[in-house]
Amino acid sequence: MPHITYKLSTSHWIFPPIIMGILAFLAIIMLIQRALKCKRQGTPFFNFKNYHFFEENWDKVRLPGTLILLVLYIPSMELLGFLPASIIFIFLFNVLFVGINQLSSIPVAFKTKKFWSNHDFRSLLISLIIAVVSSLLIWFFFGQVFKITLP
Amino acid sequence: MEVFSFGLLQIFMSLLGVCIGVIFGSLPGMTATMAIAIFLPLTYAYNLTTSLFLLLGLYVGGISGGLIPAILLNIPGTPSSICTGFDGFPMAKRGEGLRALRIGITASLIGGLISLVSLWFFTPPLARLAINFSAIEKFLIIVFALTIIAALSKGSMIKGIFAGFAGVLISLIGQFADNNTMRMVPKLFRVDLRMGFQLLPVLIGLFALVQIFQEAETGVKEEHQNIDLNHETRKFSFKDFKGQGFNLIRSGLIGTFVGVLPGVGGSAASLLSYSQAKSMSKHPEKFGTGYIGGLVASEGANNGLTGGALIPLLSLGIPGDSTTAVLIGAFMLQGIQVGPLFITNNPDIWKTILVAMGVANIFMYVVMFYPIKYIVKVINFPKARIYPVIILLCTVGSYATQNGNMFDVWAMLFFGVVGYFFAKFKFSIPSFLIGFILGSDLEKYFVDSIKGSGGDLMTFFSRPIGNAIWVLIVISLVYAFYDEWKSKRLARKTKK
Repeated sequence: MPHITYKLSTSHWIFPPIIMGILAFLAIIMLIQRALKCKRQGTPFFNFKNYHFFEENWDKVRLPGTLILLVLYIPSMELLGFLPASIIFIFLFNVLFVGINQLSSIPVAFKTKKFWSNHDFRSLLISLIIAVVSSLLIWFFFGQVFKITLP
Repeated sequence: MEVFSFGLLQIFMSLLGVCIGVIFGSLPGMTATMAIAIFLPLTYAYNLTTSLFLLLGLYVGGISGGLIPAILLNIPGTPSSICTGFDGFPMAKRGEGLRALRIGITASLIGGLISLVSLWFFTPPLARLAINFSAIEKFLIIVFALTIIAALSKGSMIKGIFAGFAGVLISLIGQFADNNTMRMVPKLFRVDLRMGFQLLPVLIGLFALVQIFQEAETGVKEEHQNIDLNHETRKFSFKDFKGQGFNLIRSGLIGTFVGVLPGVGGSAASLLSYSQAKSMSKHPEKFGTGYIGGLVASEGANNGLTGGALIPLLSLGIPGDSTTAVLIGAFMLQGIQVGPLFITNNPDIWKTILVAMGVANIFMYVVMFYPIKYIVKVINFPKARIYPVIILLCTVGSYATQNGNMFDVWAMLFFGVVGYFFAKFKFSIPSFLIGFILGSDLEKYFVDSIKGSGGDLMTFFSRPIGNAIWVLIVISLVYAFYDEWKSKRLARKTKK
């Protein structure tokens, strides 16, 4: 009869090995399936040459930029506080997603003294407005009205 | 017993939830699940009754909003609107956009109400049956839920099971309640991971950050609709539904049934209902050309899903889809256990759910039907401006999980990256989440069964209801293997 010995002191290690075993078994099945598929199609098992992890023409600025900004945003909240850090980073996320080429409009706008009529500079100003308003609203509603703990 | 009541605040929250849900559903790439995940932290501020009105409003609104881009852009706003565009978009192209939208909205309401009646009708008896379940049956019913996930992970069954069990393994990290001993926790995280990973950061990472990473990868492209809604060639009339009554009821019931099956999701409901409507129609050739029957089938089914997915959640504690998996979080945050005893112990909350679902469906209809001409402008909202605010909401939500712990924000980011890799390698994220949610219960019931039997594994075959569940497990696995074999054979034939 299949049997499992139950001892309170080691009971926390009864179930995890079973799940790990199932996962290992499934991993082996996936490898076998892939090997059979490769054999049938006559392709190599490791086919790095034709393998593309990212989408075709993937955005080499926005994807790594998102990850980097997120990694920096989290500690910055502890360093600067929720509101200043959020205003800075939500502005940066806006600039990143809309397009960082807008940044080149800064010297032009100051040189020509045309701010709102300069399309790219206006976009930067909108990013700033969104960053300030959304951060303030969330700080006010979540932190002050609903008393939810903010970073 | 708490007196069941709701007032203006709850009505307002339902309306707010529906409006926000419709916006999320309308924007391709944003889903009802994402909306609920982001607004879940608000349940800290309100009691469960008020929170349920908000969250169920988000759910119904989010599912319904998906029809707008499906009809006007031919891009489903949510996976559950996958078939809506097949007939909705051709209708919009020939100048019947408003008509198509209003037919879809009406079908959504009927589908939602059918599922509400099913929820009210089927949940209590299922819960009464489940009250008699011992730890053995409870363990087996979770295994059954995991096998259904596998059965419906079309084309990647093993990956579906793998993702589910990976979720189970991650849920085991932390302290084991029986002997208060930690396992699988690196020394560095002994304090932060004492209670394991919290649900909220995990699901926010999996459902919001993954989406943002995927959008960032493709350059956050904006979609703009160019369909002219001011010059309608044919106006909506309730007479449009003449001859569609049976289709509508069948679609609502199909949606409800698919919703009951754990981990299946709205796209399957829409596809199944659409194919059924096509095969049973007198005019199958009209499907895909802008035929009302196709539109009704897809929209009736996806809203039928909403109530259906709540049936296993409230009677067995097993979420029917990824959105209800997120709803579990709302109950957990309020310290309420969903499962067989839920209705008996919380009759007031049960009634609240029924009322909140009904109110949300009616609000969805009112909010969408009349002002639809103006609501459609939502799909022109620039995503590049919305995603940063969503990141802000995600961060606040994750941080608030344990009343202020930055580790949870890192956990959100970690699961966002993990989910991104899962999506890349085609491992099902909903399967992972359902495994994660059910994992600790799966272990608890397994260990309790072992304790009760003195370690004899044959105890899992010792009870009649348990054996009936075994039969269901075997059937679902056999079906899974057969279905995968059949679809692979079909794919090979098509290639030739």
